[in-house]
Amino acid sequence: MSGRALRVLRPREAGEALAALSRHGGEARLAAGATALQLDWAAGAERPDLLVDLSGLPELRGVEAVGGNLRIGAATPLAEIEADATVARLAPLLGRAVRTVAAPAVRSLASLGGNVAGRTGCCLPALLALDAALEILTAAGRERVALADWLGRAAEPASLLLAVTLPPQPEGAPTTLRKVGLRTAFSPSVIGVAGLLSLDHGVIGAARLAAGGGPVRPQRLPRSEALLAGRPPGAVDWAGLHAALLAEIDAPDDSLRSARYRRLAAANALVAGLGGAGMLPGAGGRSGALPRYRPVGTGAPAGERVVSRAADPAGWHRRPDIADKVHGRLAYLTDARAPGMLVGRILRAGRPHARILSIDTAEAEALPGVAAVVTHRDVPGLNAYGIMVQDQPALCGERVRYVGDAVAAVAAVDEATAEAALALIRVAYAPLPVLDSPEVALAPGAPPLHPEGNLRREVRVARGDIESAFAACAHVVEDTYVTPRQMHGFLETEGGWAMMEADGSVTIRVGGQHGARDRLQIARILGWPEARVRVVTSPTGGAFGGKDELTVQPALALLAVKTGRAVRLHLGRSESVAAGIKRNPMRIRMRTGCDAEGRLLAVSVELTADGGAYASLSPAVIETALEHCCGPYIVPNVAGVARLVATNNGTCGAFRGFGANEMTYAIECQMGRLAQVVGCDPVTLRRRNLRAPGSPGFFGQTVGPSERLAEMLDAAAASPLWSAGQGQGQEPAAVGVGLALNYQGNGLGSLPEDRAAVELRLAADGAIEALYGLDEIGQGLQAAIRSAVAARLGVDRAEIRPVIGDTGRTPDSGSTTASRGTFVVWEGARRAAPAFARALLDAAAQRLGRRPQGEAPDGLGSADLALGPGGIREARSNSGRPLLGFAELAAGLPPEALPRSRAAFDFPKADYVAGNARYLFAFGATLARVAVDRVTGEVRVLDLHQHTAAGPVLDAAAYLGQIEGGGVQGLGFTLTEDARMEAGRYAASNLDGYLMPTIADAPERSRVLALEDLDPGDPYGPRGIGELGIGAVTPAIAAAVADAVGHWPGAAPFSPETLLRALCDGAAA
Amino acid sequence: MSAPRFRLNGCDGVLPGDPARSLLDILREDHGLTAAKPGCRIGRCGACTVLMDGRPVNACLVMAYRLEGTEILTADHPEAGPAVAIVRAALIDENAFQCGYCAPGFVLALAALLNRAPEAGEAEIRAALTGNLCRCTGYASILRGALTARDRLRAARGATGAEPGGPKPSGSQLPR
Repeated sequence: MSGRALRVLRPREAGEALAALSRHGGEARLAAGATALQLDWAAGAERPDLLVDLSGLPELRGVEAVGGNLRIGAATPLAEIEADATVARLAPLLGRAVRTVAAPAVRSLASLGGNVAGRTGCCLPALLALDAALEILTAAGRERVALADWLGRAAEPASLLLAVTLPPQPEGAPTTLRKVGLRTAFSPSVIGVAGLLSLDHGVIGAARLAAGGGPVRPQRLPRSEALLAGRPPGAVDWAGLHAALLAEIDAPDDSLRSARYRRLAAANALVAGLGGAGMLPGAGGRSGALPRYRPVGTGAPAGERVVSRAADPAGWHRRPDIADKVHGRLAYLTDARAPGMLVGRILRAGRPHARILSIDTAEAEALPGVAAVVTHRDVPGLNAYGIMVQDQPALCGERVRYVGDAVAAVAAVDEATAEAALALIRVAYAPLPVLDSPEVALAPGAPPLHPEGNLRREVRVARGDIESAFAACAHVVEDTYVTPRQMHGFLETEGGWAMMEADGSVTIRVGGQHGARDRLQIARILGWPEARVRVVTSPTGGAFGGKDELTVQPALALLAVKTGRAVRLHLGRSESVAAGIKRNPMRIRMRTGCDAEGRLLAVSVELTADGGAYASLSPAVIETALEHCCGPYIVPNVAGVARLVATNNGTCGAFRGFGANEMTYAIECQMGRLAQVVGCDPVTLRRRNLRAPGSPGFFGQTVGPSERLAEMLDAAAASPLWSAGQGQGQEPAAVGVGLALNYQGNGLGSLPEDRAAVELRLAADGAIEALYGLDEIGQGLQAAIRSAVAARLGVDRAEIRPVIGDTGRTPDSGSTTASRGTFVVWEGARRAAPAFARALLDAAAQRLGRRPQGEAPDGLGSADLALGPGGIREARSNSGRPLLGFAELAAGLPPEALPRSRAAFDFPKADYVAGNARYLFAFGATLARVAVDRVTGEVRVLDLHQHTAAGPVLDAAAYLGQIEGGGVQGLGFTLTEDARMEAGRYAASNLDGYLMPTIADAPERSRVLALEDLDPGDPYGPRGIGELGIGAVTPAIAAAVADAVGHWPGAAPFSPETLLRALCDGAAA
Repeated sequence: MSAPRFRLNGCDGVLPGDPARSLLDILREDHGLTAAKPGCRIGRCGACTVLMDGRPVNACLVMAYRLEGTEILTADHPEAGPAVAIVRAALIDENAFQCGYCAPGFVLALAALLNRAPEAGEAEIRAALTGNLCRCTGYASILRGALTARDRLRAARGATGAEPGGPKPSGSQLPR
């Protein structure tokens, strides 16, 4: 949205386009699909004055066979090429190459010419292998030049690519094509290769091998080609070819992959693809040094069942919000538009650490269309927020501590004006040293980011005599586990809108996870009583912990108050990346020892977490991590320390798993390794160390009933995956199976206040409203509420109307975090339903002229009336027909007489207060079966089986969705995701560089199983499962990788380069 | 020369003065159609997928000048054609989405595939949906819904002997 308008020329013929280009020189750009161009603009490239649109030029469009050759107009969209029958017949290799470019919707616009002209396109290796030529128009006229020659020339500004021409691909010629990326599909290229061997009477005539794509210069590989010519395909010296390719391929290093890796993967791909897969490391079978022990199953635990629609059609309910979501008519808080609504924007620091010398907003305020600019000077109350420690300024006035720090905000009549105003705010900074890692931040002399210093929290655990214990161990394993700065990646970035009400209060509608706490924090910033602030937090387009802390609310509130008008604000993705909270990157050094039989004797652990600039919930995250350092195992001697370090990196805090999944990665890998050195299977080793149900928890606290760890191990031992086949189709791959066990605490723990209030009431229209101050962030809250309340009242789910996430309407039920919502929903219904049912029955009795029903001991109608679907009916009638419908009952009552019932309760807590301990837990065992590609070292998850035990399933679809979704979010953490920072700045600012799993990365098959039973007398009902599904994914995949290649990956995301090296080393061993 | 124009959900759309304005902004800000969602604005998440002459495109990457003469269909169009209707119903039955922000994009990407390749197998379905990110579900539910949609569409075609119902932006009727 630059100030100057872009002009677009749509020429009618090629000459006109060329003339415009010559006339405007560097001020004009050619474009067909303009997809790459817009990516460049988003990354900050200057926009041209003139865009010459080639998409409408007939001679640049379409595919035709001309004299046996294929001619493809340069502006032809890739989608047309991949669907074209002539291409499929004459150049199938090109069709395959086209499908590796971006994704289908991008290919609808992007052209072949654009892919070629940028010289980085993923089609170039295939085009080189197909011996393509280009038709080019210059001032001198038309010329035809071989692609390989054209690539050797310098770029010619005043030229226009008209078409790509190809000789037909020789029939029966062996070909290969491979694009190596950073994830399975829709990825930037690491390197791409293509090869074609034309056969002449059983002998290789010409061989054309090529590499290129992304950062790799497009290149033919003539020295390697020469090794093939003249030989029959069966007599190729593949090892010789491989060595030649390694020597010949020219590829660069970058921060993601080394040059060596690119060359190796490319050489492997060409050799394997052309028939030499047999020479890849380990192709002859598994050769690693690690033994492979398999558990002996004695059967899955009784009652464990598959959770799916097919397994229980009657238990499958439609989510209340699914139809609106699928039809695109659900109004998210960022969708709100109204006449006169202002658009807000936030000025970010854009630098990791600096002192603010001055902020001048005069020019911005003077810009026509700007309604208000706010800075720290406009903060009437406490200019600080944070769930645990209020250390983050709403708007910075003295110092900025990370790139995403908010410095000012504007409200203007439209987006363009707001953006222009941002550019007019003059902030003078004096740079300060950038503390870009915990090591730098803890070094002597590092400037403290906060008064208490950069070591923001240190937590320790110690029991027994660690030194003597290690001395007595028969086996000790030790390693460092490194975990990534994972981004929550909610599809709806932070945003919403705010407005002043007639009574002088402010309403803020921003997706969040605890409206009542947001209200507290906003009121503090405004210096207002909480009663003057209303916060609406649902529906939210994904959160995962990333909307637990305040996001845009301070800026929105200040802008609405200052302007007195409605203001909306929605972060763009790059601003969300810069400003938003991430998962704490951790380094976990762990040493684990056991006796000769595998009984754990000692665990020592040292954890260092990067907290970024502000505390948010990070202190609690490292505490939770440490709480999980022994897994669910008995360890007599423990020494642990966890340190949270403030840096100038992006701020970190809550993320699904909350430290538990990171620590589970470490301890479960240690268990797998110990099993190998002890010489037993991974189930047996865990069984030998498993905590006994009812024994004290990690801190010695009393823990809740219904532990199911042994049952999860039984389920894991009985898994069919252990005996699944090793072969994996066409790709040469090493296949392995792995297991990890986990448990996840529910609730905030024994130290923080953790209360919930709920209300049930009959609405005037006869709906039964269930009021919960929890948020629908996608997890299925409304389905859970319907399920729990309907079951308690004995009515239909559809009769329950959830009212959620609005401090103006709903009681404070606590936060939608920490796997606590499920229990709150269920317990709230259990507590509020009896009195509500009694009130309904009494009201009905009065109407029907019956005696009061209140004496009924269970409150649910052991008198003559009862609740049922549709309304109130005779308690002893089986007809099911209500005597009085709920709507009828409501219609006859004045508003103040409508039945209602409130309940408030504490989340069940542990009796331990020297540290933050949990009382309720959910349990799981995850099995992964993976294929490690011998060509690239990439890991593909073939099967992911998640066994869970979390009490009764409240809603099957929500349960399934939470576990499956957690599984793939964990898969991303394990294989592709890391928001890397360089000198305090994010290396990738959008979803082209931060790579979450696509559907192509999702497991080929997945299965979720639930063991629902509770111990007799267990009063706690269903446990929370929001975090259980992510908990054991990383170590399960790690164990499967180790099973496949003999190497335990110690850093997530797992490096394909390391695994490829492990495959080579294993082969050499 | 007549004024440039395009069709939007069967009606005339309004082209802005700025030829570089994105279709996503044209839909959301100029026409009040909010089914297409901004997720990245660089064509990398698929949340703003719409159909342009029947093909899926990222609305954020379509500049206004490209719209002239095109037919655009958005996910919230109530009469989007039988294929879209079947896809919607299958995804609803499967509870395919959680937060739902990505749902409209998936509906159209999938409908475009099944119009083009009614016999698509799982591999083709995955390939067709790689441009649509979902952060909540892990994709399994979406895949189940997609396979159900394919089977139902096939059954519907078998029953009527008709060609697969492409999105017909104007005047087409829902099958139910």
